[in-house]
Amino acid sequence: MVDITITVNGEKRITSVPPETTLLKLLREKLNLTGAKLGCDAGDCGACTVLVDGVAVNACLMLAGQANQREVLTIEGLADSQKFHPLQKAFEELGSLQCGFCGPGIILSAKYLIDAHPNPSVEDIRKALSGNLCRCTGYTKIIEGVAAACRKIAGATDKAA
Amino acid sequence: MKHRGKGIGCMWYPIGFTVAANPSAATVKVNEDGTATLVTGTVEGGQGSLTVLGQIAAEELGISTNDVHVVSADTDTTPMDTGAIASRTTYVTGNAVQLAAAKAKEILFEIAAPILDVKPDQLVAAGRKIQVKNFPQRSLAIADVALQAQFVHGRPPIGTASYNPPTVDMDPETGQGQPFSTYVYATQVAEVEVDDETGEIDVIYMSAAHDCGTAINPMLVEGQIQGGIAMGIGFAMQEEMLFDGNGLQINPNLSNYIMPTSLDMPDLDIDIVENFDPTGPFGAKGVGEPTAVPTAAAILNAVHDAVGVRITSLPATAEKILRAIKQDRIAGQKELSTAG
Amino acid sequence: MDDKARVGERKTAPKSLPATDEALRLPAVTKKAMFPLETITAKPREQTPSVGQRATRHDGRLHGLGQTKYIDDMSFPGMIHAKIKRAGVAHARIKSIDVSEAERMPGVMATLVGKEIPVNRFGPTYQDQPLLADDIVRHAGDGVAAVAAVTEQQALDALEKIRVEYQPLAPIFDPLEAMHEDAPKVHMGHSNIYSSKTVNKGDVEKGFADSDYTFEGTFSTQMVEQASLEPHAAIAEWDPNERVTLHSSLGRITLGRADLARVLVMPINRIRIVATVVGGNFGGKNEITHEPILALLAKKTGRPVKGVYSREDEFISSTTRHPFIMKYKTGMSKEGKIMARTVRLICDGGAYCSWSDTTLSKACILSAGPYNIDNLRVEACAVYTNKTMTGAMRGFGAPQVCFAYESHMDDMAKELGIDPLEIRLINAFREGSLSPTGQVLESVVIKDSLLMATERFGWKEWKK
Repeated sequence: MVDITITVNGEKRITSVPPETTLLKLLREKLNLTGAKLGCDAGDCGACTVLVDGVAVNACLMLAGQANQREVLTIEGLADSQKFHPLQKAFEELGSLQCGFCGPGIILSAKYLIDAHPNPSVEDIRKALSGNLCRCTGYTKIIEGVAAACRKIAGATDKAA
Repeated sequence: MKHRGKGIGCMWYPIGFTVAANPSAATVKVNEDGTATLVTGTVEGGQGSLTVLGQIAAEELGISTNDVHVVSADTDTTPMDTGAIASRTTYVTGNAVQLAAAKAKEILFEIAAPILDVKPDQLVAAGRKIQVKNFPQRSLAIADVALQAQFVHGRPPIGTASYNPPTVDMDPETGQGQPFSTYVYATQVAEVEVDDETGEIDVIYMSAAHDCGTAINPMLVEGQIQGGIAMGIGFAMQEEMLFDGNGLQINPNLSNYIMPTSLDMPDLDIDIVENFDPTGPFGAKGVGEPTAVPTAAAILNAVHDAVGVRITSLPATAEKILRAIKQDRIAGQKELSTAG
Repeated sequence: MDDKARVGERKTAPKSLPATDEALRLPAVTKKAMFPLETITAKPREQTPSVGQRATRHDGRLHGLGQTKYIDDMSFPGMIHAKIKRAGVAHARIKSIDVSEAERMPGVMATLVGKEIPVNRFGPTYQDQPLLADDIVRHAGDGVAAVAAVTEQQALDALEKIRVEYQPLAPIFDPLEAMHEDAPKVHMGHSNIYSSKTVNKGDVEKGFADSDYTFEGTFSTQMVEQASLEPHAAIAEWDPNERVTLHSSLGRITLGRADLARVLVMPINRIRIVATVVGGNFGGKNEITHEPILALLAKKTGRPVKGVYSREDEFISSTTRHPFIMKYKTGMSKEGKIMARTVRLICDGGAYCSWSDTTLSKACILSAGPYNIDNLRVEACAVYTNKTMTGAMRGFGAPQVCFAYESHMDDMAKELGIDPLEIRLINAFREGSLSPTGQVLESVVIKDSLLMATERFGWKEWKK
């Protein structure tokens, strides 16, 4: 067993898992955070995408031990207690998700992009999401949702400034 | 060198099962405050069927989508449903939902009619009111009628109904018959760019015009068209399950089974063809499968227009395109040499 | 005597819990709320009339929060995990299955083989498919045995210890070869051609005779997979009154319940199937797969049993789209009117029938295209091969035949020097046209869709 200390969605967790446990299994089975999904367990589909120290990673490819002492953000930690994240709002309004299975991974990949590039082009968005497979939507409304969220954030930032 | 081409693919597709009975049943309950619950045995698969069915129930009762709560997918509590297959849910389950809502509404009309001093068949439900047809100023809030129905008259407004599309058996030798109650039609047009040195196809733009009867929820119809085109692109150019000489799959994983990513989708323009099918709920038919049908044809016809080669087997990989271009050149050279 | 006296003095001080155990006991819920207090007003949902509104989806909000519960997100007290051993050989007779070593593996609570299943055959048209192969393996993804263990890893480890002895049989992979009388038979005693459909309308010989030109084309399509993001998943649980509940990613629960009743030999009212949101179906989740296996393992162990397909299982053990070989022959007038058409369809039907019969019927009817054809003959058949079973996938044969008839149409248009849009408008259905099966068509808008899509595209103005 390996001891892991990990901050998930702002909360410190101390746990102990067999060494071959992936970060994905740790999140889903130990911590009951089932937002990150198991689509292929091989890093091909992106359904398990979470942010580790702010960087989008496939949680199925990362060992829980590798996440020791790090900060992890899962979809469950995206909205705060008062407000939805603009990505979540835009996706709901525009019907960006259908079956929703790819959703948490896609939203976090998008967050990773827009945190670094608040004004991405459509091409930038396509590239950022290219590691997240979706079989239902054809990506069109997802890309529209990301663009809409960016405009909302920019508008809010302008207001605040 | 890159060459551009345009191509059309058009199609027709039926709604429901081929001849065989494929019924759905539904129950609609109007609550004491005029909101409602829809109980359906269908299973949401991502296409948004529960929202659409809720909209159909809401429309029949004259209330809003938000006023209808949808309960589904439990064989103990929800009525039978043949399932979300063959693009049948909006049409078949939708018809069952409309009929069930109409039965619940009938009870409300029977309660409201004497209060409004008219006959039940003079009433319509709209804007959360039960009102007299063509004389809307005489009306009652649906909430008031629902409350009275249940607690004064002891008649909870509830309705259950089923629907099965009418068909005629097909003759086993000639196939003549009426296998489906209704069909939908669509056309997709593709613009591609083909690189004659690499054989790669870039689908730049597509326009799609789809018939679904009445579009109960246009946003969801668009989503189906976009998703269907993505699947069509994969079918046309990328996806293939490969077997070795022993019948074992070579690529049973998502790294070697190539399917569309966000980089593969073209710019799209979508139009919903205006149509009304009187046999469908509020004129609606269906759209789930048709969206994936003509895409490969449109793309491959555009490739044909671009580089003059006809790919007759899918997927149209870069290798196939290059081989076809080379053979075409050789054939062309042979013709020149025989001509000269 | 009071309780304290009965229980007695504590002899030793309780050990304080190590820090890690304490942490594990905390519920894994963040201090933040499960969802924000902010209410989003979804205006289209509140408007009447409802039809035509771009109403947002209730599950859309849950998807964005990561709160939609799919089957694999669910967990029950005492739940254990099942895995299925796949044959890995395309065609073989099973001589013996030895699960004894697997049963002794750590954490293993039960095993299951095909012979233990009360009725080990199912299928939407012909019941030719076993839940677990018991005599013959017909494709490499056929399940041959299942294991239930406390953890998934233990179940996977135990699968490796299951010893299956096979007697290899000659396999057949090519559908054209499979049609020959002397080809190896996928199902003993049956021809490999297991379904045939015909459509016959008018007089094709006369139609061809009246044509100015005759064109031929042969087209083929490949096997593809629905590849939904969510793998097949189900959890089976019994109650003490002999009722079994399946939480399943099945898209057709009424049918699934009937299938379970037949396979387990149980009254229908003793079976409950509950679905949540299916993470993508596209036809691949329209029939039972492992549900009866999980139910029997749950019965044996007295525990809820969860089974989730790996991505490899999704490819090798779930239904796929039929590869088609399509031969078209069309007689045309020089003005571009279709005078006669014959179509021959050969569908690679894989190892089991699944939805092939339905696919064949539909493909047969649709294969003529949305065009007025007075003289038509379509002959279609489905052929068994020792490959992954082909079933329902978005379109039931339509994408395949559309690729063929539309490619064929453009080839003819080119030869006749007619614009591809024009040639379609000349032949397309009108309101009241007769379908290939003689049905009077209503609500026909194929021409409208052609004009709309090409206008939007800028078909006439478009330059290379």
